[in-house]
Amino acid sequence: MDTLTQENISILALVAVLLPLLTFFTILFIPGKASRGGYIAIASIAASLIISIFLFSVVWNRQPVHEQFEWFTIAGRTFQAGVLLNNLSVLMMVLVSGIALLVHVYSTKYMQGDPYLYRYWAYLGLFCFSMLLLVIADNLLLMYMAWELVGFSSYLLIGFWFTRHTAVLANRKAFIMNRLGDLGFLTGIMIVLNQFNTLDITSLFGDNGLVVSAVVENGFWINGTSSMPDVWLNVAGLAFFLGAVAKSAQFPLHTWLPDAMEGPTSVSSLIHAATMVAAGVFLLARINPLFSADVLTVIAVIGAFTAFMSASIALVQNDIKRILAFSTISQLGFMMLAMGVGAQSSAIFHLVTHAFFKCLLFLAAGAVIHEMAHLRDKNNLQFDTQDIRLMGGLRKRMPVTFVCMLVASLALAGLPLTSGYLSKDAILIQSFEWAEGRNGLSKLIPYSALITSWFTAFYISRLIFKVFFGELRIEKQFAMKFSVHEAPAAMKNVLVVLAVLCLFPVFSSHPLLFEDAWLLKGLPVADTMTRVNAFHTIVPAAVNIMAVLLIYLAYQWYGRQKKMPAFSNTALFRFAGNQWFFDKVYDSVIVDGIVLISRGIYFFDKVVVDGVVNLVGRAGVVLSYLSRWTDRNIIDGIVNGAAYLTGQTGRFFRHFQTGRLQHYFVTMLLILLGFFIFKYYSGAI
Amino acid sequence: MIPLSHFMLISAALFCIGLYGVLSKRNAIMILIGIEFMLNAAILNFVAFSRYDKFAAGGQTFALFAIVLAAAAVAVALAIILNVYKYYKTIDPTRIDQLRD
Repeated sequence: MDTLTQENISILALVAVLLPLLTFFTILFIPGKASRGGYIAIASIAASLIISIFLFSVVWNRQPVHEQFEWFTIAGRTFQAGVLLNNLSVLMMVLVSGIALLVHVYSTKYMQGDPYLYRYWAYLGLFCFSMLLLVIADNLLLMYMAWELVGFSSYLLIGFWFTRHTAVLANRKAFIMNRLGDLGFLTGIMIVLNQFNTLDITSLFGDNGLVVSAVVENGFWINGTSSMPDVWLNVAGLAFFLGAVAKSAQFPLHTWLPDAMEGPTSVSSLIHAATMVAAGVFLLARINPLFSADVLTVIAVIGAFTAFMSASIALVQNDIKRILAFSTISQLGFMMLAMGVGAQSSAIFHLVTHAFFKCLLFLAAGAVIHEMAHLRDKNNLQFDTQDIRLMGGLRKRMPVTFVCMLVASLALAGLPLTSGYLSKDAILIQSFEWAEGRNGLSKLIPYSALITSWFTAFYISRLIFKVFFGELRIEKQFAMKFSVHEAPAAMKNVLVVLAVLCLFPVFSSHPLLFEDAWLLKGLPVADTMTRVNAFHTIVPAAVNIMAVLLIYLAYQWYGRQKKMPAFSNTALFRFAGNQWFFDKVYDSVIVDGIVLISRGIYFFDKVVVDGVVNLVGRAGVVLSYLSRWTDRNIIDGIVNGAAYLTGQTGRFFRHFQTGRLQHYFVTMLLILLGFFIFKYYSGAI
Repeated sequence: MIPLSHFMLISAALFCIGLYGVLSKRNAIMILIGIEFMLNAAILNFVAFSRYDKFAAGGQTFALFAIVLAAAAVAVALAIILNVYKYYKTIDPTRIDQLRD
């Protein structure tokens, strides 16, 4: 095709990106019914998806498309903006628009009847626009703008039910946490700009790009003529990573994500699956060459720790969405870990497979919550619709939802025949290979990842067994019979589609070998991809045998209500149940600390600053009083005195001018006589 | 030979009488006469001093000049007095007090 020039492809990509933005403006600025806009939103995101798929077919494993135009010039430095479509970005485009379309369709039923539905569609549009822009941006500054927009639109979406106080608190928390990370991103951008004089991703991070050809020598990070101390290389890497930590909810900035569950479930699904939290991983993939070995180790450690920590928290949560939220944090930790150990392509692979199964988990949970809320409203009861302790036995009443969620759970647990098996094992195997030949401490990373994946199998099967097995516990609680139905068709079909996407044939021809996955072949391949050692067999076997055992245990405990040890009172349980006390520590250390400092500053301001100001004011008053006194009495006194004197003199001399001839004569005579007398006595003149 | 001091005494007396007339009279004509007295006192001095100027008799010449000047001045002064009278209908100098701003 001759018409398919680079330029046309980039324009197509731009169209795909801008369509959701158009939705946003169209819905907000065209008045109508409160529920308007759903069809526009779905149509535009569907168009985006179609274009994305087309772009994918054109670009995947072929020459990347990179088009740019001059953006602005500042201080003699010209900035280019443009579109960069390589394997990574077209993959992400399809993923984002695909997941977004499914969530849109799902939302038509899930959000039905919401009084501000049109705002929901508009915000979704803005959110998809920002994420797509982030994906295709060809320079860091543009990417940063999209990054901020993602943060902002997630703020709008998390706080969508703004009449709830908790939702407002949650979106504020998410926004502030993300701002912290954005600071890091910005710092990184500034360092890179200072060093390389450009922000273009291709020329910076491409093959033989500026970053790759820059060298570290004698403690200096040298790029052509410019150089800076090599510590800045690490600082830049860590700064970018801080941005990713906040967006992808990694330790220590992870606490916003569980709270973000206050938004609608469909939004949680979108944010958790392919978009917002994936942005951090995407960023790391984009700028991967920048990271030095030390920074990569930090990334791996943070990822492993986050994965382990949040999996342990997920073990004991009772809110269905919170379990999934911690599961997301944990899985993102896996991706970070993969980034850190150099398994970049596996990280992206896991990002893609995770997007599908986590989206499905959330949407299926949404279907359950939807049904529970329906029960609650129909029977005028009061109970928490998200508490898994109140659910149970839904397997027979919502069979489709159950099967879909089961598939997703198996994928999350990483059992064979699912996509999760492929991607998670890829990460585990590569982390073992990475630790091989390193010192003992770095062995902790793959082992903790192994334990984490066992935790994963346990907490997700606990969720499944509690929600879908046994009997419906609210019936017992309220001593009533409820009729629970399957979710509406629009929601159900979405679940089925996603369930299909969670199976292995979508990604690999062989159910057990991740090395066969087509996706990995399109991404930068790590040298550990070949099956050279035993890890490729032992690790999956170890993971799965143990996982199956754990699932059986969970079945015994939660599915068949067998007697289980009472560990809900142990210290560890409470530690995990309180989410490792992060919120409390942040509250008591950071929030209270800042409040204390602020009080101090307030006091300082009140007493010292205001005191000085008041003192100066008072001094001014006194001075002006003095100056008024001086002015009145001395300056005016002199002036008035001079005038008075002149007046008096004038009055005195006036007597000499009587107008009478003889008086003048006398005066003249007296002066003359006086003169002669004076002359006679002085004798000098 | 009458000594010079006698002339000077008479001259001083004449001068003082003239001065008194000028300062105290309420008639402009009388003031003029007082002025004439004073002038005459001066002229008397000139004439008396001219005795000591053997060669040119400059004092007498000055006296002649002064007499002519006095006559001219009186003519002018009388003209002024006539005009003052025409304007104020009086020649009493105490009642003419407009010689000021």
